[in-house]
Amino acid sequence: MFDKVLIANRGEIALRIQRACKELGIATVAVHSTADADAMHVRLADESVCIGPPPAAESYLNIPRLLAACEITGADAVHPGYGFLSENARFAEILEEHQITFIGPTSEHIRMMGDKITAKETAKKLGIPVVPGSDGPVTSEPEAMKVAKLMGFPVLIKATAGGGGRGMKVAHTPADLGLALSTARSEAKAAFGNDQVYIEKYLKAPRHIEVQVFGDGQGNAIHLGERDCSLQRRHQKVWEEAPSPALNATARAKIGEIVAEAMRNLKYRGAGTVEFLYEDGEFYFIEMNTRLQVEHPVTEAITGIDLVLEQLHVAAGGHLVHRQKDITFSGHAIECRINAENPQTFRPSPGQITYWHPPGGLGVRVDSGVYQGYRIPPYYDSLIGKLIVHGKTRNECLMRLKRALSEFVIDGIETTIPLFNDLIRQPDIANGLYDIHWLEKYLDKS
Amino acid sequence: MTAKDKGEASGAEQQLIRELADLLNETGLSEIEIEKSGLKIRVARTIAIQSTVPAAATAVAAATAAEAKPAAVDPAKHPGVVKSPMVGTAYRAPEPGAPTFIEVGASVSQGDTLLIIEAMKTMNQIPAPHSGKVKAILFENGQPVEFGEPLVIIE
Repeated sequence: MFDKVLIANRGEIALRIQRACKELGIATVAVHSTADADAMHVRLADESVCIGPPPAAESYLNIPRLLAACEITGADAVHPGYGFLSENARFAEILEEHQITFIGPTSEHIRMMGDKITAKETAKKLGIPVVPGSDGPVTSEPEAMKVAKLMGFPVLIKATAGGGGRGMKVAHTPADLGLALSTARSEAKAAFGNDQVYIEKYLKAPRHIEVQVFGDGQGNAIHLGERDCSLQRRHQKVWEEAPSPALNATARAKIGEIVAEAMRNLKYRGAGTVEFLYEDGEFYFIEMNTRLQVEHPVTEAITGIDLVLEQLHVAAGGHLVHRQKDITFSGHAIECRINAENPQTFRPSPGQITYWHPPGGLGVRVDSGVYQGYRIPPYYDSLIGKLIVHGKTRNECLMRLKRALSEFVIDGIETTIPLFNDLIRQPDIANGLYDIHWLEKYLDKS
Repeated sequence: MTAKDKGEASGAEQQLIRELADLLNETGLSEIEIEKSGLKIRVARTIAIQSTVPAAATAVAAATAAEAKPAAVDPAKHPGVVKSPMVGTAYRAPEPGAPTFIEVGASVSQGDTLLIIEAMKTMNQIPAPHSGKVKAILFENGQPVEFGEPLVIIE
């Protein structure tokens, strides 16, 4: 096991890593920018190194400074958390060159899944279902029609050079296809200078369902069930739950085994999440995240497994101790991401927390690095904490969440707690009937 | 003797006091006083004690500091402080055995090398940002330093 781990992150996840290291008797080094000198995990870590001014490029993203911090503290491993350099293959490579363990997968796997086209191709080769598409550009209307009829309408015509939700046109029926195709082409040409397009099946109202996987890099891999993260605003997850209200045990076992087997074939090491869009009983791969995710606590709640502890264990060369048959799912868990934002406009609200009283009791977990008197710096994202509740059933979980939210006091800044108070009172949420468009439609109405 | 004779509040007066106390809490006032028929009742919120304690504490601390030697100025706040621009290991001399770049009392010009910080096998010379006299050297040879750490004071 490692003697000393350097935590290359900040905020709630840095504290999460600090806690796991402490439980394994590993010494910790907290690196931080000048803005985070008073962060809770910095105060709790065994050593701290200020690595730069607030901008991430000069601190949390600065590889030479992180390496120098490893050097002067003698850290033998780095945990990158999520975001920042957690999916930077070059960082993983540089650490390996310096005989420092990167707690995560190999740089090869990070690279493979970082490129969305390679990721999709890899997924296909591994037998993971992907969004059906034209497998390359379409150059004529007859070709497009052939592909579209094979997949079934509606279809989405996408610019190869597009991105960020731009350069996409939907053709609902065969009659729409010709016009959609030519419009997509001319818009693509105007916006990206390239009129090349391809076609994918259009999913009208899918759910976002992701599967947690874990491997030991030696050919053993398991799945730890799924999370439903459909409630999103501008592609940012707001509320996550496990298990998904949309899946039954059979569906779960089926998709779980497909991704676990894929990870065995890859000899994947560490934690990973395979993300899908799910519609009409079918799964469609969108991407794989080769790191720990923000919402990992809901999986921990229903499986009883500490994912960061497992990451440390396999990174240090350990075998996977759990086999698939050892994994059991118990009860239901929901996580609400608490942001320092106005609950209606979502405008960021940095400032000082004048009163902090988190909820407690059975089945209530608060993962947060803030404390009373803490000043939230304006330089980083607005996530200040996660409220995770667990119950024996989804209903018990919802009641517990309602109770926990009512106890949560955060004064001095604006937070999104009122949004969650509203959501738990919505019949669709209570019934688990939502898709990836639900939250934005709800927010547009209010 | 009746309770009233002994100066204790009667039932009606107690009720009035309770009502005044509730009114105090509801309105957020700190004090309510009423007077009628020769009876004066004042209900006041306990004044926060903490406003006096810190003053006393700082007074005590200041007194102790005054009794002790003159308190050292925090070097990080000294106007002539030179802070580390990077993370690494600080050295006083260009190589082991060589004379140090500076000693306390030395005069330096802007741009003169004050120390070397090593990071990942590269040596980085740290120049004086302004001219002056070296008042203090705040690190030991071979000490790991972080970003922003005060290294030298040049007055």
